[in-house]
Amino acid sequence: MAYRVPSTTKPLLRAQLTSRPANGHLAFIPQIRKLVFEFCDKWPSSANTRTYIHDHLEELARTNPHVEIVIRQRNQREPIARGFYLNGRDKVIPLNGFEITGIQKKVQLLLDASGAKIKPLKRRTVESTTEAARGIWSGLHVDEPFKI
Amino acid sequence: MGYAQKRLASTAAKLASVSPSHVRVFPPKEAVASSSSSSQKHFFDAQTWASLQPPPPTSFTAFAHRIGLGNILTSIVDIQRACTHPSFVPLYSHHYPDKPLPATNANLAVLGNSLLGLFATEYVNASYPHLPTRVMKAAVSAYVGPTTCVGIAKEMGVTPLLRWNRTPTTPTSPAVLHPDALSSVPRALTALVYQHRSLLSARKFVHKFFLSREVDVRNMIKFRDPKAALAETVAKFGRERPISRLLKETGRFSNSPVFVVGIYSGADKLGEGFGTSLKMAEYRAAEDSLHRLYLIRQPSHLVQLPTSTFAGGRGNVFEANGTEGKYLAGEMGDSEVLYGSAGRTGQRNPGRRSQAIEEEDLEVVL
Repeated sequence: MAYRVPSTTKPLLRAQLTSRPANGHLAFIPQIRKLVFEFCDKWPSSANTRTYIHDHLEELARTNPHVEIVIRQRNQREPIARGFYLNGRDKVIPLNGFEITGIQKKVQLLLDASGAKIKPLKRRTVESTTEAARGIWSGLHVDEPFKI
Repeated sequence: MGYAQKRLASTAAKLASVSPSHVRVFPPKEAVASSSSSSQKHFFDAQTWASLQPPPPTSFTAFAHRIGLGNILTSIVDIQRACTHPSFVPLYSHHYPDKPLPATNANLAVLGNSLLGLFATEYVNASYPHLPTRVMKAAVSAYVGPTTCVGIAKEMGVTPLLRWNRTPTTPTSPAVLHPDALSSVPRALTALVYQHRSLLSARKFVHKFFLSREVDVRNMIKFRDPKAALAETVAKFGRERPISRLLKETGRFSNSPVFVVGIYSGADKLGEGFGTSLKMAEYRAAEDSLHRLYLIRQPSHLVQLPTSTFAGGRGNVFEANGTEGKYLAGEMGDSEVLYGSAGRTGQRNPGRRSQAIEEEDLEVVL
């Protein structure tokens, strides 16, 4: 039986021929795809939402053409803004109790969000009565400061 | 999120969902059983009906603006065409035989694929001039291959807009699965940018979305015997044979030694490697030397691309007006070492270009 000489180089398998995303390095794809406003026509808790939709929604849609904006009926309930994101999740924010500026801030929050689940970073902080043994490092007080 | 939840989410993403406000007749006539046509044996499948409805036009315009092509793809018809895979047509014509066939992205995907290959190859070659051929091909696949196209399509949000149909393998055509259908969309978009603007605009689009991604080229260069490969490469360049020297060591005969070995060709250090044994350190040093040669990279602001010579005016390359751009070709060096060719590399003098430059005899090069 003939002996097959192993090749000099290792084979490149198909799974290796991939790339990792770099959103924002050159092109930025905004993560929100749809914004749904649900409100009641009659109840007073939706009054501010109705005013916001009447006065500011068209301008919002023009300045954010990458978002689909939808209006839905939500009778006898509190008004809601729901954002749908590219990772398949959605964020829901109730809009009762806010003034127009408050609603604008919440809508901006939805527009800027990525849809990722909010991970709480609450940890027990280190509280010590003694100062650090080796001092606190500072990037500005080194021989060669870091150059971007 | 557990595996079951992730699987559910991905299955739900592949299922079609219809917004009733954009459907002309809801509920559809086929869904309502009428007593007059009781002889009909139609079985109504909601999922199939949903997959046949086009997505709402607002989602297409939002998609175009999301990827920055809002001014280029002004017509919804074009975007819809780019998001329709040819596998969809038989399903559509079977259910709606009277309606005109939907336009598919078959031609656009083929054109876009060629353009992607062109731009990726010139970019990889200009950025890494000394890369071995099979590694360059692998890098091109990594930048614009099917897996990347699927990833880009998902990140752009193409999944709810895609119209396709799962097709099993037939004797005349391969199977069509979700990744195959998804990967056709970014290719079609590249072709659309070329058709609506110019080749240079298509190149900008490809650089923005495909060539900005992170590809690990270093992991693609692997040798079974880097020491032997280095010896052959050094001989090709006409330098002294490589000698490995121990530079630093600590912990010999302990359970965690560290050796640092450097490989020298005469007085020049080619590469350095560490390891817990002398052999491993030498192996890594040889690998490092080969990486330092093959992964020489041109800085991105100095990269010269041959497609810059095309005119910048609108239209395809045969019709575009404008002046040619500047392109400065790189200097030719020695070609890569061909292993297993019994020393017959096809050149008269291996390493003649390097030797000629040393002796400043440029006539030999020409």
